[in-house]
Amino acid sequence: MKPYLAIIRDSFHAALSSRVLWIAFLAIWLVLAALAPFGYQEDLTADFRGARDLAYRSRLRGLLAQGLNDPELAGTAVGRLAAAMPENIVEELNEISEGGNATLRASEYADALNKCLDDESWYDRDAWASTLRLTELRELDELPDAELDESMRRRRARLRIEAAMPGVFATRSAKSISLTYAGFDFPAELAVDKTRFVGIINQYVVPLIIDWLLGFILIFLGILVTAAMIPDMLQPGSLHLLLSKPVSRSMLLISKFIGGCAFVFLCVIQLVVGLYLVAGLRLDIWNARLLWCIPVSVFLFSVFYSVSVLAGLRWRSPILAIGVTTMFGGICFVVGIIGGVFDGFVTGPARIQSMVVVGDVTFASTQGSGLIRFDKNANEWVEIFGSDAIGMDRTLPPVVVDQDTIITARTKGGRMNPFGSGSSDLLVLSAGNNWEPEPSLGLPPATVRLYEASGSLLALSGSNLNQTEVAGVLAAAGEQSDKEGSGEKAPDTTEQAGGLLGRLSSLLGVAPTGFSSVLPSGMALEPPRVVMVSGGGSQIHALSRARLLRFVRSEAGQSWALAAEHELEGDPSIRGVIAVSEGVVLVSRGERPIELFDSETLEPLSKVDLSDRLSPTSAIGLGKSRFMLLTSDGRCRLVTPGNDGQNAFVLSDTVGPGTVEAITYHAEQNLVYVAHDTDQVELLNADDLTKQGEINPALGVWRRVDKYLIGPLRFVIPQTGELGETIGAIVSGKSAMAVRDASGEEQIVRYDILRPVFSCSLFIAVMLMINCIYFGTRDY
Amino acid sequence: MNPKPSTDAPIVHVENVAKCYSKWSLRGSRRVHALKGISLSASRGEVFGLLGPNGAGKTTLVKVLLGVVRPTSGKASVFERPAGSKFARSKIGYLPETLRVDRHHTARSALSFYGRLGNMTKKQIDKRSDELLDLVGLQGRDKEPLKRFSKGMNQRLGLAQALIHDPDLLVLDEPTDGLDPVGRSEVRKVIERLSAAGKTIFLNSHILQEVEVVCTRVAVLANGEIRGSGTIADLAGKQDSDVVLLDVCFENEVAAKQFVEVASDSHPDLCLSLDPNGSPRGTHRISGKVNQQHSVDQIVDLVRAGGVSITRLDVKRPSLEDTFMKLVGKATQQDSGP
Repeated sequence: MKPYLAIIRDSFHAALSSRVLWIAFLAIWLVLAALAPFGYQEDLTADFRGARDLAYRSRLRGLLAQGLNDPELAGTAVGRLAAAMPENIVEELNEISEGGNATLRASEYADALNKCLDDESWYDRDAWASTLRLTELRELDELPDAELDESMRRRRARLRIEAAMPGVFATRSAKSISLTYAGFDFPAELAVDKTRFVGIINQYVVPLIIDWLLGFILIFLGILVTAAMIPDMLQPGSLHLLLSKPVSRSMLLISKFIGGCAFVFLCVIQLVVGLYLVAGLRLDIWNARLLWCIPVSVFLFSVFYSVSVLAGLRWRSPILAIGVTTMFGGICFVVGIIGGVFDGFVTGPARIQSMVVVGDVTFASTQGSGLIRFDKNANEWVEIFGSDAIGMDRTLPPVVVDQDTIITARTKGGRMNPFGSGSSDLLVLSAGNNWEPEPSLGLPPATVRLYEASGSLLALSGSNLNQTEVAGVLAAAGEQSDKEGSGEKAPDTTEQAGGLLGRLSSLLGVAPTGFSSVLPSGMALEPPRVVMVSGGGSQIHALSRARLLRFVRSEAGQSWALAAEHELEGDPSIRGVIAVSEGVVLVSRGERPIELFDSETLEPLSKVDLSDRLSPTSAIGLGKSRFMLLTSDGRCRLVTPGNDGQNAFVLSDTVGPGTVEAITYHAEQNLVYVAHDTDQVELLNADDLTKQGEINPALGVWRRVDKYLIGPLRFVIPQTGELGETIGAIVSGKSAMAVRDASGEEQIVRYDILRPVFSCSLFIAVMLMINCIYFGTRDY
Repeated sequence: MNPKPSTDAPIVHVENVAKCYSKWSLRGSRRVHALKGISLSASRGEVFGLLGPNGAGKTTLVKVLLGVVRPTSGKASVFERPAGSKFARSKIGYLPETLRVDRHHTARSALSFYGRLGNMTKKQIDKRSDELLDLVGLQGRDKEPLKRFSKGMNQRLGLAQALIHDPDLLVLDEPTDGLDPVGRSEVRKVIERLSAAGKTIFLNSHILQEVEVVCTRVAVLANGEIRGSGTIADLAGKQDSDVVLLDVCFENEVAAKQFVEVASDSHPDLCLSLDPNGSPRGTHRISGKVNQQHSVDQIVDLVRAGGVSITRLDVKRPSLEDTFMKLVGKATQQDSGP
């Protein structure tokens, strides 16, 4: 190996003697010097930040208008706050109360609330005693004012405002980060705490810097500098001398190839170590995984360099080597774009988001807000609502209400905001009507989920949970059809209510006609929230801003009462999933350990560690206190009672297929439906998870083009752009990231880590083989 | 394990080696016969000169010996191993005609690099570098970057790198190119010293005088064929006799012509002729071909028997250049003939 090590070492010396390298070093040092002054300060979250904090602005307007104009609420918390609003807000609230429209922007409401943080004259201890106060607020309330500094006092004021108007505000961490540059504060603070801040830096910022600086600029620079290396070696006075030495031609070329990577390596190592030190020293983020960017970047460069070497061997011209490599980069880019378009417009929208099974018919809602039914005879998914990548409408995941009926809804513009743009109706689909959607009762505004609870249909609308009778919905569907047939229009439910409350009902999310509120007065399900109906429809478990709640249905069957609650530890803004299975509730929030509670008392039973690289996507109860958890890596794992302790639970290895999109449990069939690889479904026995069947639908034209043309093309042509995802995954240590759409719904985007690595490795290996054969067999 | 080569076997042995390059272009393929069945051999301790005009195939033959190109047919071996084998290459020190060493090197670092390519240890390289830098006169400038080196210094460094691993066979391509007369003389001395030390030297040079001085055997290549090979004396003998020149004082031109005619009739083997040019005023120049001293004596006797005075007598041996020009000219004539 000595001769080859000498060649590699010589390449390093050659690189170090290159002026371009020192210019690149200088540029890197300047970039690092520009980044070094970044710093941060962590402070308690107090100020409201416009539209992002005021998640349900209509409800805010509704509550304030009600507080301002309803004499009964004058002394209450919301009444006092409404009275403290500035003149322009008060005017608008009065107009709203009279049925007018809102014109003021969210930022003006935020400014008004921020003023209230400074002047707490609106606060009254008695008025706030009846509000639902978080532990943090209760603790702050107990402290004497003298012990509170300004930031704590403002924080307390914010929590009081949030308590006065539940279900209005987006949940934020108790602490916020504000960035500084050379000691100067940035104008806007980040609505995240330190943990999330570290996550953002690792998951978005660093990969972005690495992608641009390493993935593009340095690689292009590297190709420019190293393009002459092989043509230079092929000069007669150099090549014949090298070949006269007792070295193998292939090894000589490979050594030169490795040596060629020296330039990029020397640059990358400085940039990455520099970023690591800046992140560590200035932001307290000591992320050693960042150092993995060094080999990945050199690996990325070697893909392009292998092409440059072949062009250099063939034409012995640096200019041609650069030209050919640039063309190759262009081809990679174009194929990447085409692949991205197919992902975004063909496979992405077709990915199954949720499933329900009615008898032996499977329905699924898709990422593209489509609703599809599997036709066994044709072996294909039949579209009820088409999946669309850029459509505005949102299809709610359907719910099964009886053996041949499902209910769903389609909100216009629902993908842009939860309220949509206009009223929508519940849609009833039944076998008898050949699964054609029939409009029924009006859908409560801002409804994002429907649930069925033994004859009742529940709608999670904004911060409220409303219910109606399924029978009424089904009957209304028939009526609507009749009315449509006779040309009559359905009555406007809002107008029927009358009075102030009637006028504000749509803003407040008050149950419209036909619906009644499930939640006790003054209670709201605050984001992030999840609802789970269990016990045959007799109880509801809900996760609301880090509080686990249990509601039980009264014997009369119409009203629900809060039976138990438990406040969870950790950042309340972390999203989570819940599932119920025979006396046990599973709660999994972000990267925190999975928590298991008694389903009645909500007493903690056990905790199971989830890998810190995973976060939950969905969970289902499988009966016998067993759960299946779908995690961000697209794999399923079981959470089952352990053998060694009564309340101990264990997390299994991955089960079932990979690239899982959604899971659902069919209790009567005792089958787990696992949707995977876009729109395929595997049916597993819930007890032993053996495969009982599958849905392997025939592909449409574009899906076939994707599978048989674009897929292989993306494999053969290395997807260097996708290596950015690999870097993101390595730096963040996570295999997926959550992307929140305009309506606040979170979608998990999985990093495709292995495909680009495998495709690029294969490409480099094949190119090196071709290079070695060409160089080894040619006369020079 | 490699068997040890026998001591009396030729170090370089080339047998019927032919090399044909195929060149492809849009107009079709073209075949160029660079070597047309060449055979030669060089023994231990020999300084073997390879001569030929441009395009004769010398470089291709050197490349075959180095294993840089593979012969189309025939066999080439070095140290009884196929030319180009790792063993063969480990025994060869090669100085290319235009040495290109990366500009970031110094003389010492370049020697270290090429030493490592020859599998030498650092200690061996250091020791050998000192010796060689002394030998080629670069001691004291060994830490200067090569970009400051003149062509001659570069060439001397090239010679040092060729010798770094103490090779048994040196293939030198124009070793004195770019050197001043002192440098050339030093290189010649180095070659002689190495030859005396039992090293075999394969010299490819355009400078015929240099080859004449240092080579024990030569081969003349033209158009991919060997036109002649052997010692310089052998080559000259094979090609031509010595020439004797006499400046004699005839009365007039007619007398001179009559004498030459008569003498040629009686001694046709002497090939006597009257050379119209070159003789001093008042004399006539007669030339004849001689193979031995007896022939010289015969010519002198003939002239003196005619009562004519001899003002000058010179016996000229044909130079390597003459031989070369003759061989190459013959080849050119053959090639351009019908």
